[in-house]
Amino acid sequence: METKSRILLIDDEEVVLDSCAQILAGGPYELASASDGTAGLRLVEEFQPDLVFVDLKMPGISGFEVLEKIRGKDATIVMVVITGFATVSSAVDAMKKGAYDFLPKPFTPEEFRLITRRSLEKRKLVLETIALRREKELLREQFASIVSHELKAPLGAVQQNLFALEFELTNTLNESQKEKIGRIKVRIDDLLKLINSWLRVISVDIHKLKEGFTQISVAESITKALENVEPLSVRKNIEIETSIGAQLPTVNGDSLSLSEAFINIIGNSLKYSPDGSKVIVKAEEQGNETQISIKDSGIGISQEDLPHIFEGFYRGKSGQEAASGHGIGLAVSRQIVEAHGGSISVESEAGKGSTFYIRLPKSRTTEVVTT
Amino acid sequence: MTKRLLIVDDDPDYVAGIKSILEAADYSVDAAYNPKDGFQALQSGSYDLLLLDIMMGRGAEGVALARKIRKDPKLRWMPVLIITGIREQIAFLFPGQPVHPHFVEFDELVEKPVEPKLLLEKVSALLKMSEEKKSQKKG
Repeated sequence: METKSRILLIDDEEVVLDSCAQILAGGPYELASASDGTAGLRLVEEFQPDLVFVDLKMPGISGFEVLEKIRGKDATIVMVVITGFATVSSAVDAMKKGAYDFLPKPFTPEEFRLITRRSLEKRKLVLETIALRREKELLREQFASIVSHELKAPLGAVQQNLFALEFELTNTLNESQKEKIGRIKVRIDDLLKLINSWLRVISVDIHKLKEGFTQISVAESITKALENVEPLSVRKNIEIETSIGAQLPTVNGDSLSLSEAFINIIGNSLKYSPDGSKVIVKAEEQGNETQISIKDSGIGISQEDLPHIFEGFYRGKSGQEAASGHGIGLAVSRQIVEAHGGSISVESEAGKGSTFYIRLPKSRTTEVVTT
Repeated sequence: MTKRLLIVDDDPDYVAGIKSILEAADYSVDAAYNPKDGFQALQSGSYDLLLLDIMMGRGAEGVALARKIRKDPKLRWMPVLIITGIREQIAFLFPGQPVHPHFVEFDELVEKPVEPKLLLEKVSALLKMSEEKKSQKKG
């Protein structure tokens, strides 16, 4: 059974209330009416309308105030203004207060029916959008849990047993066998890291991160990141030259996430750099910001790819066959940096290398001493 | 004397992988596959160290077990090596706490999967720390 749409009319002129009721009679509607704002607002609570018609000019509280209060109570209720003093400016004002449409008096029954139908359509759309958003949120959470349980856990168990096997066979394996196990370990490790990045994107609400912000040291976050990428730089024999200002200002942020952003960017530079090359990590104060730059002499990014590299799931169309990647790390990094009120950018030339810049705003309390 | 360790983890394949590394290093290792059995096994009082998974069953049930251990006067000083696949998420599950949350008096945290060398280092360091603490109390 289809439920009837609930319509509330707020107007001090009884004749308007009556004629509106008459026009809508017989339709799939349930009507309620009030002759002033106060009574109308009470009915909004009791009657829970889908659509409210509000007269702008009434004794007692004004139509504008009624609009504002209804919006404060439930922003999904569609509001339409009816008024005798239809001017452009009052229409604009009503729209600003959240009205969906505007009906000047006098109006024909057909006009009233039309605006009613359109407004109820709008209400349906609003509710559907909310339901969809909720569903999307739910899916996201479920996907995160599937990724975590169904992909990450088994793969981790595989790796753990491989570790055990290698450990037990340490004295038995020959070089070529060790090499094979080494290759398997690296590939599984790459997969685990990829899954972790996915999880990070899917399950963590970056904006929630801000609730836990504290004064943190940028230098410390960079140091942590450098420790994390060390195995890769050793494997590729890449020297990481660092120049980190001794007295960098603190940043209001989340140390773990910020480290993750640095790990992604520095790791990315290492990945696309030739063996035996150099990556330069610099951090310095620049005006109101701390600028961290990561410069490599790797394969670079082509002009056509440049605008897209901070988008999720993008991994260059051209020139990047040299290394496998998953493109999500940069998108995550951007989200993290932006959650810190900062920005991220890149300068690059294909074949010559790239420089990534992360700029973070100085926190307002500069005199905080980090321990 | 051989040290006795208990692993509490609901994934038998993980348990097998970790157990064999520890046994190869001459530890005696038992396993429990849920927090309830784990807590019961601990009651026997014969373990020197607990290896504890965080995400078990319907959520962070490992944390609940750690809290129970902390409240138990007999188990309070039991060293615990937390083995978790959720290093990153821990910060979000327990906001405001450091990545290494110190659920009990003596704990250390390693990430799953854990390399044998790191696992053995952490286990022996925790055992040593707990020994020292014990002898301090006696002295």
